[in-house]
Amino acid sequence: MSIILSNVSKTFDGTKRETLSDISLNIEDGEFICVVGPSGCGKSTMLNLIAGLDRPTSGTISVDGREVTGPGADRVVMFQEAALYPWLTVIQNVRLGMKFIGISNDEQERRAMHYLKMVHLWDFKDYSVHEISGGMKQRTSLARSLCMESDILLMDEPFSALDKQTTNKLREELTSIWSETGKTIFFITHSIEEAVYLADKIIVLSDNPGTIKKVVENDLPRPRHIEDADFISLRKNLLSYVRKEVDKVEKDEYDTK
Amino acid sequence: MKKTNTIRNRIWVLLFYVVLIGFWQLIYYLGANVFGWWKPYAFPNPQGVAYSFVGLMEEGKLVIAILYSFKRCLMGFAISVVIGVILGMFISFFPKAGNAVKPLISGIQSLPSVCWVPFAILWFGLKESSILFVVVMGSICSVIVAIDSSFKSVPPMYIKVARTLGADNVSLYRYVLLPAILPMVVSGLRQAWSFAWRALMSAEVMAATIGLGFSLQSGRDMADINQVGMVMIVIILLGIAVDKFVFSTIENKLLRKRGMLV
Repeated sequence: MSIILSNVSKTFDGTKRETLSDISLNIEDGEFICVVGPSGCGKSTMLNLIAGLDRPTSGTISVDGREVTGPGADRVVMFQEAALYPWLTVIQNVRLGMKFIGISNDEQERRAMHYLKMVHLWDFKDYSVHEISGGMKQRTSLARSLCMESDILLMDEPFSALDKQTTNKLREELTSIWSETGKTIFFITHSIEEAVYLADKIIVLSDNPGTIKKVVENDLPRPRHIEDADFISLRKNLLSYVRKEVDKVEKDEYDTK
Repeated sequence: MKKTNTIRNRIWVLLFYVVLIGFWQLIYYLGANVFGWWKPYAFPNPQGVAYSFVGLMEEGKLVIAILYSFKRCLMGFAISVVIGVILGMFISFFPKAGNAVKPLISGIQSLPSVCWVPFAILWFGLKESSILFVVVMGSICSVIVAIDSSFKSVPPMYIKVARTLGADNVSLYRYVLLPAILPMVVSGLRQAWSFAWRALMSAEVMAATIGLGFSLQSGRDMADINQVGMVMIVIILLGIAVDKFVFSTIENKLLRKRGMLV
């Protein structure tokens, strides 16, 4: 499913500055998009708008030709925090979303097993949420999102709290799921390396107000390796754009003090 | 290690109460027999309280009184819970109406329940229903407040996640909001029960012909200060017992399951 943002702006109540200003973007069916930019540039706001958790101040967002008016299971969100329900076990958390959308018990069972095994949590399926580590919580949350098998997956820095090894593993898994299923993935990250590793298209946001500064097509062949010369040069290239932005933000913050 | 600690703690607690009772007996003895501060019949003493307890137990009156009081408290509490939960949900659904009503509710909550007794007698007569009325009025407001504030305490993230996973309103309540508020509701009900118990005593003192409150009153009428003291102690012990064995147990179980209690 394609996502189209046309002239989207967002100003939060009680603030004068636009958080997002006049964003227009076409995300094609099956694309893997990464959004990078300095913190506070409106990356998460953009995701919340597409998710339907928030409404744009002006402009429209449409998914598959229909305007977004609220959240829905066709655009599953994976948040930065795991946000599991503490009264449920790992597997109950994973199955809950499927229960919401009326998937049969057998199918729930099958998908839960498939994705929990993928994130290496099958042995922990009957654990309580407070009995597992932060990384395991985040993996549970990933399994919960993937179980929904939605056409669009919105991910808000999902791996930022994980250790390097787990992160690498999950990036690989995510890329293979994406290439198998042809999902559209909208992925926010502050790691340039992550963006270069994952995305077809990398969007650099600038701050104050949040606008699209640059769209970089990433044609590096997959599977990608972070040591390859092409990988490194694209990464450096991107880093220079983002660095300018970060410097600008820091300068602004300094000036207003 | 842990086990010996709890045993040691229990011994300390027991010792404290033994000393307390000894001290009480001493005060009574000094006050009544040595210094003449008060008449022996005006101050309860441990021995007299024990005799009174045994006496009323043998007659079977105490057990009947306890059962009656329990029955009334349970009934009043149940009515409070049913109506209170509905009103509490109403208030959190309609925040505008809720904001208007809330000061009134907290006002009523702080009103001593004995104030309802004259109305109860006037409206319902000296019957069971008037006692129930007082119990309900005494406890319903804490149920309403507990429901309303527990909905407010649900982390917004819980709702966001459910919505993005496609939950409709029914699923949101059934699978997310209700389980999320459960521990807070239980602690609210715990408070409501203790309010109901207090209200019941006020009502029974004024308007009952049987029950613990009535036993208290009849002790006064017969100038049997030891009976009054004994009934007071029974009321306190029953209050503690229900709180500890019913509410505390449920609450701890819920919290432990969620990792909110070690």
